[in-house]
Amino acid sequence: MLYLEPRRETTVWTSVRSIMLALVITTVISVLVMLAMSDRPADAIWQLLTFPWQGRRMEVQLGLVAQQAAYLATIAIGLSVGFRANVWNIGAEGQFALGSVGAYAGYLLLGSPESLWALPLILIAGMIGGCLWAMIPAVLRIKFNTNELLTSLMLVYVASHILTYLCIGPWKGDPKAGQAETYPLAKSVRPTDLISGTELHYGLIILLVAFLILAGFLLFTLLGYRLRVAQHTPRAERFAGFSPNNTIWLSFIVSGAMAGLAGAVYMTAETGKLIQAENYLENFGFAAIVIAFLGRLHPVGILLAALMISYINVGASYIQASLGVDDSIADLIEVVALFAFLGTAMLDQYRVRRSVARPRPVIQP
Amino acid sequence: MTPETVSFLINLLAAAVLLATPLLLAALGELVVEKSGVLNLGVEGMMLIGALFGYIAAYNLQTITCLEELIPGFCQKEERVFTTGDYLMALCSAAIAGALLAAVFGFLTQGLRANHVAVGLGLSILGAGLSNSLGSNFFGVNYTSVQVADHPEMFGQDLLVWFSLIMVPVIWYLLQRTRTGLVIRAVGENHDSAFALGYNVPRIRFYCILFGGAMAGLAGAFIVLVHVDWKEGVTVGKGWLALALILFGTWRPMRVLIGAYIFGLLWASELRLDNLFPNWQLEWKTILTTSPYIFTILVLVLISRNPRLIHQNAPGSLGKIFNPPS
Repeated sequence: MLYLEPRRETTVWTSVRSIMLALVITTVISVLVMLAMSDRPADAIWQLLTFPWQGRRMEVQLGLVAQQAAYLATIAIGLSVGFRANVWNIGAEGQFALGSVGAYAGYLLLGSPESLWALPLILIAGMIGGCLWAMIPAVLRIKFNTNELLTSLMLVYVASHILTYLCIGPWKGDPKAGQAETYPLAKSVRPTDLISGTELHYGLIILLVAFLILAGFLLFTLLGYRLRVAQHTPRAERFAGFSPNNTIWLSFIVSGAMAGLAGAVYMTAETGKLIQAENYLENFGFAAIVIAFLGRLHPVGILLAALMISYINVGASYIQASLGVDDSIADLIEVVALFAFLGTAMLDQYRVRRSVARPRPVIQP
Repeated sequence: MTPETVSFLINLLAAAVLLATPLLLAALGELVVEKSGVLNLGVEGMMLIGALFGYIAAYNLQTITCLEELIPGFCQKEERVFTTGDYLMALCSAAIAGALLAAVFGFLTQGLRANHVAVGLGLSILGAGLSNSLGSNFFGVNYTSVQVADHPEMFGQDLLVWFSLIMVPVIWYLLQRTRTGLVIRAVGENHDSAFALGYNVPRIRFYCILFGGAMAGLAGAFIVLVHVDWKEGVTVGKGWLALALILFGTWRPMRVLIGAYIFGLLWASELRLDNLFPNWQLEWKTILTTSPYIFTILVLVLISRNPRLIHQNAPGSLGKIFNPPS
């Protein structure tokens, strides 16, 4: 039988090894899935891996990857703050939606401006929107000890209905549109493209800056350090004079603001208007949970995980177009990777040993 | 009371039963899982997979498709009578599908000691993604819905309704009055002590997880076979409501039953409000749809205001990773 033996010492090397193992497992299972889903698996795998160099211009494809990775990484690093401290905010999707709503509300409050100088204010309004929405589970947790995991998730359903309500009710736009939507923002307010013809725009730079600021804060400040060790030593955290309630506040404020910012950038740059929830929300908030865990809640890991998953997502839609392989294969690979990473994480602290007779306690009569 | 009011109330109750039964089934399964100290947040995913496989099984049993391979040129879609046996087969496949997905969770959390919350969330995402892609592959965009018109009924209700009601005392008796239940509760209350007494903690938990998965699969199958037809995300968050129900019921089967029916009644009356006020605008109906979720939050707030209530009833090792001393 196999059993797990605690390692005497854990080094960076053990972590690297378990990550490599997780990648190998992910690859093997993904190849098996591809064999099952495609008639020409070799072509499909080759095109999935090298799609930027196939067909269309390379910068367009890589632009799509960068665009998706920016949203995912921004939301995920916000969530990782709470996850490290066992604060489970899984309602980033709702905070993303309310961030968009907040940004649109800011735009309307400013009197539908046409100058690019209004953009920072609109984005800040979005951050406030996401933050306020994230405050609801935080307040309920602190005042009433309510399970924040369930409340934050329930609020996703509420948020998506609020978005739809605004689109068919008070902020109803062009009635001739095929879907419920608001009137679009003035073209001059929206972030301009970095490289014409690609999906890259200044909004992504803003997201990257926000990501780097939070990453620097987590990696290089004392407070960030405390937050990062909170997972392993809740008691030490308390002795250091940092109350659990403050951790909860901080986790929800940070994750809500990051998700809200992502929502605001998405609204201003990608759609330029609010659309009914089914056509607007793209599950960035839920995918970011996976990204956060794939990156082992570490800023560098999150960035790499976001890039990897976005690359696979864009590649999957490419092979759907070229080879007719269903692009849900990206979701499957994503979850397989998540399970592989979670399942091998214990190899950091344990080694697998084979035992002749498993040690087993015996009740003495 | 006028006859209209009476029939309205009867309709309301019937709808409440339809909405409450999946909640009750999933919550009872998860109750046993949590009693053994495992927090499985993948209920929603297991329900969706159960729903899909139950539906596919019913679909295949109902229609015998092309016989072209046997007799060339002979192709006919034959409608078969859907018997009780077929219905039970569909339920079985749903339960097995749910249990298989739960086995993934069990392997990762019990075998590989991964974080319960992270794997559970992943399981929900996996269940949703897998059921969407398999469902759209299998049924395509246009398909004729399964007519499970004559699903077996007893005393005017579906078999599963009675099954879910019977499971309430059965699970109570199992947990509180039998040796098995004592072991499950011991493992959930303090896994180190249970291990020291010689119980194989991961194995006991694994069996409980399988049971929870099977019950969630049945809950999903009930939704698609009795209530509504299969569509993407057909469970509309019922798996998460089931998790909330366990907190509401403070880990007691009887209170979970009461909670499930209160939820069912509220949800049913929310759906009926549409008919009562046909003049209401669409935008207000959109807001009204959120009422089950807002109600859940309110209930959770009311229940958890008293921390003693939760602390006294919650299993001591709930959601904690078991590292056996070696």
